[in-house]
Amino acid sequence: MSGLWGVLQEHFPELLAGFLVTIRLVAIAFVIAMVVGAVVAALRISPSKWLQRIGGVYVETFRNIPLLVLLFISFAGLRRAGVPITPWIAGTASLGLYTAAYVAEALRSGAFAVGKGQIDAALSLGFSYASALRRIVIPQAFRSVIPTIGSLVIAMIRNSAIVGVSLLALPDLLKEARIIQSRTFETGEVFFWAAIGYLVLTLTATVAFRLLERRFEVRR
Amino acid sequence: MEESKGPNGPLVELSGVTKSFGDNVVLNEIDLRIGRGEAVVVAGPSGSGKSTMLRCINGLEPIDSGSIRFGGRAIEGIGREIYGIRAQIGMVFQQFNLFPHMTVIDNITLAPVRVQGTSVEEARRRGRELLERVGIPDKEDDVPADLSGGQQQRVAIARALAVDPKLMLFDEPTSALDPEMIREVLDVMRDLARDGMTMIVVTHEMGFAREVCDRLIFIDEGVIVEDAPPEEFFKATGSARAKEFVDKIIHH
Repeated sequence: MSGLWGVLQEHFPELLAGFLVTIRLVAIAFVIAMVVGAVVAALRISPSKWLQRIGGVYVETFRNIPLLVLLFISFAGLRRAGVPITPWIAGTASLGLYTAAYVAEALRSGAFAVGKGQIDAALSLGFSYASALRRIVIPQAFRSVIPTIGSLVIAMIRNSAIVGVSLLALPDLLKEARIIQSRTFETGEVFFWAAIGYLVLTLTATVAFRLLERRFEVRR
Repeated sequence: MEESKGPNGPLVELSGVTKSFGDNVVLNEIDLRIGRGEAVVVAGPSGSGKSTMLRCINGLEPIDSGSIRFGGRAIEGIGREIYGIRAQIGMVFQQFNLFPHMTVIDNITLAPVRVQGTSVEEARRRGRELLERVGIPDKEDDVPADLSGGQQQRVAIARALAVDPKLMLFDEPTSALDPEMIREVLDVMRDLARDGMTMIVVTHEMGFAREVCDRLIFIDEGVIVEDAPPEEFFKATGSARAKEFVDKIIHH
């Protein structure tokens, strides 16, 4: 059987399985990116020069190493060094930590836009500097950078495609498509459906972030 | 210095406080004592160090030398304990600085709940009382952006009062307001002073000073050049600089 619909019908189970793996991969990486991104942003705007530097080193490291190289290091490299790392840990950590660097930068710029008056107000109420950041600055920074984070998440979904086909034995959507393609040579059809799968995810993310943006808009 | 301890000493005591930004000396050997229940207005030309002095009193700005005592206790070099001191000092800012992502009532209850451990219900009950007191009882679920400047500043006063401060600092609280809203904010402040709140108010509102404060302090170039009850001040026997300034801001 061939043709677009034929390929989809015949290989639907594998493609769906890959699609679900991609969703899981992206969801875990998203959580890592947000949590680590927030922590690194907090370091970058802390009053301590040393903490700022640690945050800076993180951002420059993960922003300047290609994601593919990170994947190679985190899986093959660490495994060779005797670290018992699974494809899932290597894949989600690489994608999450890589994206976290960009999230941290976005939050940092958002935090600067929040303004010193907000910190003054929180401190004058008895909050510690750390709580002022956590309760007042970071939540506002998050809100003002929702559109930017939306773009980062869409980029992350697209970037996730290289996780499975790099060294990792992680059967995500593109990996499954590759396997089908190498068996059937129905190249155009199979990758078309893979592209549709990614499009469904990115469009969902676009809509979700639009809604978040509307819900959490901060008027000043 | 000895008498500064105990409940009868001054609430705030600055001795030889000096503060510079780079080469610019903003506060030059300031000595000042403020007793419990006193309402003090601080005036002076812009850049004279008034706001900086307020910010130093609750430790938002570190000082270079001298000492500041609050309730008999030095506030410099006490590390994290400064947070506990600040919770006893309310501050109201020129730009209000309300938290724009929270409703009015959440702005007010945040510090009581998160810093002092008051229950949410108790903090809300008290927050509503405070909103009543500042004259905007029906705005608790609005966000700051929906309020006028005068209303925002009154919420900011309620927020500062919510932690039960022993001292209130006002940093030009009406300077960012349209003229028709100044009155409503000053009325709230006057009531506070009449209720016996200790307050230090940086303002150019000389009508308010004359009517409400116990002492009027005039600062110029980081030095206190006048410190007198307002009636004496307006008779202006003292410094020519202060006299000239007061004339200017009263008659403009």
